[in-house]
Amino acid sequence: MAEQPEAVLPLPPSGAADGEGPTDVSPGTATPEPPSSAAVSPGTEEPAGDTKKKIDILLKAVGDTPIMKTKKWAVERTRTIQGLIDFIKKFLKLVASEQLFIYVNQSFAPSPDQEVGTLYECFGSDGKLVLHYCKSQAWG
Amino acid sequence: MEEDEFLGEKTFQHYCAEFIKHSQQIGDGWEWRTSKEALELPLDDSEVTEATAATEVIKYEYHVLYSCSYQVPVLYFRASFLDGRPFSLKDIWEGVHECYKTRLQQGPWDTITQQEHPILGQPFFVLHPCKTNEFMTPVLKNSRKINRNVNYITSWLSIVGPVVGLNLPLSYARAASQNE
Repeated sequence: MAEQPEAVLPLPPSGAADGEGPTDVSPGTATPEPPSSAAVSPGTEEPAGDTKKKIDILLKAVGDTPIMKTKKWAVERTRTIQGLIDFIKKFLKLVASEQLFIYVNQSFAPSPDQEVGTLYECFGSDGKLVLHYCKSQAWG
Repeated sequence: MEEDEFLGEKTFQHYCAEFIKHSQQIGDGWEWRTSKEALELPLDDSEVTEATAATEVIKYEYHVLYSCSYQVPVLYFRASFLDGRPFSLKDIWEGVHECYKTRLQQGPWDTITQQEHPILGQPFFVLHPCKTNEFMTPVLKNSRKINRNVNYITSWLSIVGPVVGLNLPLSYARAASQNE
């Protein structure tokens, strides 16, 4: 997975990115698609034209899983569920022994290789895909 | 008031029936079988995947059974090459999806064990059910909060299946939420 820490910046974007990485896309800036390193970037009011390759995902915590400060993300369609899981785990600083599950419809866990673009096609509404995430010590 | 979400036998049957309904619609091969001793939902011959190393075809077989002692469903599975050579626990372990390996590595032999199938009497691998409540409870509690019906079997299988190579088609997710 491409380097993530740069993509993890708090909202709201305060103007141009300072060369740290292809992350913030402020509304008014016609920023070209950043190089592939930012597969996940904070989703703000991104103009519709730019979001063909990315879809908006809204992340919601389930149970006593920590809530992410940034809930809305623009994610490349080809990003897999597993990629998203790794990203959230890093963001939430979960330890390796903790498992993180992602659900669509609040009840169904797509397989790890499923692409978010496909999920968006099937389960997205109002221009976004809502995904619930939950941590667990599921095995062992 | 129970903290954990246990699954009663009748409820298990109900969810399996709903699950089968959808399976029949999409033709992915699940069947329902009963016997005096156990209730089960076997998936026969539908999962055939190619191993990446050599041009080998591997046949996976999955059965969903109900555990009275744990009051949860349990996934029994086995795999073999087309010539009938069965997979060993080591082979199974190698087939586990990368993303689960770190977690399972801490105790694969506890998580996946070999047991005798209660109905068939043959050796199967079993994904240990002791932690099932732990990951099912938040999902069920959450859906209860929003007054939505969740098919326990569908949710559970979507979570445990990928660990051992079983990926449910997305249409199950839609079907589950339609059965209100």
